[in-house]
Amino acid sequence: MDANPWRFPPAARRGPWSRFTWQLGIYGAYFAQFVKSRLAYRVDFFIDTLAISFSILVQMAVLTALFAKVKALQGWSFEEVLFIYGFSLVPLGLFNLISVNLYRFGDDYIVQGKLDRVLLRPVGTLTQVLCESFNVSGLNEIVLGTAVMIYAGMELGLTLGVDDVLGLAVLGPAAALIYTGVFLAITSVTFWAEDRMGLAPPVYNVIRFSRYPMTIYSLPVRIFLTFVLPFAWVAFYPATWFLGSPGFKHLALLTPGVGLIVFGGAVAIWKKGIRRYASTGS
Amino acid sequence: MKDGGSTAAVAATPADPARLVPWSRSVPATLGLYFTFIRLAFLKFLAYRLRYYTGVVSYTVFVTGHYYIYRALFASTVAEPGQPVLIGGLTLPEMITYVAVGWIGRSFYFNNIARELSRMIQEGEIAMNLIKPFHLQTVMMFEVVGEAAFRLLMFTLPIVIVIVPVFDVMAPPRPDLYGWTFLSFLLALVIYSQWNFLIGCLAFYLKNIQGVLRAQMVSMDFLTGVILPFSMFPGWFQTVTAWLPFQGISYIPVTIYLGKRTGPDLYQAIGIQLAWAVGLFIAGRLLYRYSVSKVIVQGG
Repeated sequence: MDANPWRFPPAARRGPWSRFTWQLGIYGAYFAQFVKSRLAYRVDFFIDTLAISFSILVQMAVLTALFAKVKALQGWSFEEVLFIYGFSLVPLGLFNLISVNLYRFGDDYIVQGKLDRVLLRPVGTLTQVLCESFNVSGLNEIVLGTAVMIYAGMELGLTLGVDDVLGLAVLGPAAALIYTGVFLAITSVTFWAEDRMGLAPPVYNVIRFSRYPMTIYSLPVRIFLTFVLPFAWVAFYPATWFLGSPGFKHLALLTPGVGLIVFGGAVAIWKKGIRRYASTGS
Repeated sequence: MKDGGSTAAVAATPADPARLVPWSRSVPATLGLYFTFIRLAFLKFLAYRLRYYTGVVSYTVFVTGHYYIYRALFASTVAEPGQPVLIGGLTLPEMITYVAVGWIGRSFYFNNIARELSRMIQEGEIAMNLIKPFHLQTVMMFEVVGEAAFRLLMFTLPIVIVIVPVFDVMAPPRPDLYGWTFLSFLLALVIYSQWNFLIGCLAFYLKNIQGVLRAQMVSMDFLTGVILPFSMFPGWFQTVTAWLPFQGISYIPVTIYLGKRTGPDLYQAIGIQLAWAVGLFIAGRLLYRYSVSKVIVQGG
């Protein structure tokens, strides 16, 4: 056994699986390092928790006001919509945890040339860029989203089974892959052209409407959110698996497949971009 | 230093009255100075105008999303026999207009001066503004005017061109309400920027203001009434919002546009906005003066 598990794997260990676990270990080491540095600022974490809780309260107030006069929004009850919202926070939290550097990639890594340093290291470029900074508020979203889901689930009389825990463990990360894939693809554009327009914000703003039942939207919007900008898969479709909604429940099981396709496609674009990268030289 | 001391002693003698006159600036010069800040802010934002093209898409997304939510909500509501469906006292076309005008207004009054001011305070850049012959609060307000002028031309106008025909946004019941709505949104701009100035001043006291800025970001559109009209909320919530400045940022201008405030109600609404605009400006003046007297900027 190696004395140092983070060492670049020798030839014998360069199978795809061992490479994967090794990268995962690197990821863990990055995260541990980050947590250590953040523990110095406990107050920040506390304030951040308050801010996230506050934002969830606002969202719940909006939903409560919408449902004040109606029993159901086109057949979807308040508790069901709340459950979908709670679920949506889990993959969003996972995504927010690792996505900080995607937003500033163009400025920090391309313009300032930080990518040169990344390229010199024997670890995957994407792993490094994603792991060099974390956003702790993602953890808050995961915990609070789960709490909202449990509350809404109890109100709906859902029973918590092993399959639900398994479902969350699979569908949560799968949906997070979709978020990551979409924004990674947008970020990768900066390899070809400087993103003067700010392509990410309008896409990000679609997220808040992907938490509502897709059935309230017209067919073109539904097709758009299912196939073009696949945010229907980050909240509504996977959440119906827990709600047991007929007609959608089985669609939910496609989420991991969609996640792999979107993320895989984005990684392919990223790799193409990395090969194209020419440093600013400074 | 000895020389400096002796000159000061000379200057202090009444024999040289010119030296005793405090530094001052004529009114036209002051106006010219602040107009320069309007112009510079306009030009600064003009340089980033490409970013606002995707902003048009963002605002269209907001209005589209709410359009579908309200359409579903109205479809799920059962009306009194013979009556149109009303939610919060609005019909569906009025509700869509409420959402559209709310976001159109937001595209005009929105600014980031809380973030900007807190950044200046945290990075110590504030020190440079303390030694310059102007008041930072006034300068920032005029910069907001320049930014708003830019937004009106390059951002609000395109949004209006896209959103109004797509969502069949209604015209106000009387043409003079266009003028009142615009005046009301101008006051909204002052209230919004002065509130943000106060929030930014918190950076004098807090090590980390990101949490506060974030909480303000998520709650602002809710408290101003952009997301939902207050009339959809229970009575106690409406009482609370009636005592807060935020209703003057979106709820008042939009309800004026919809013709829900006429006669004395209209003047009262504008009066409330005016009172908040002046009140928040004075509060900002006082808080800034107090904070500046306490602040210690590390040498740079």
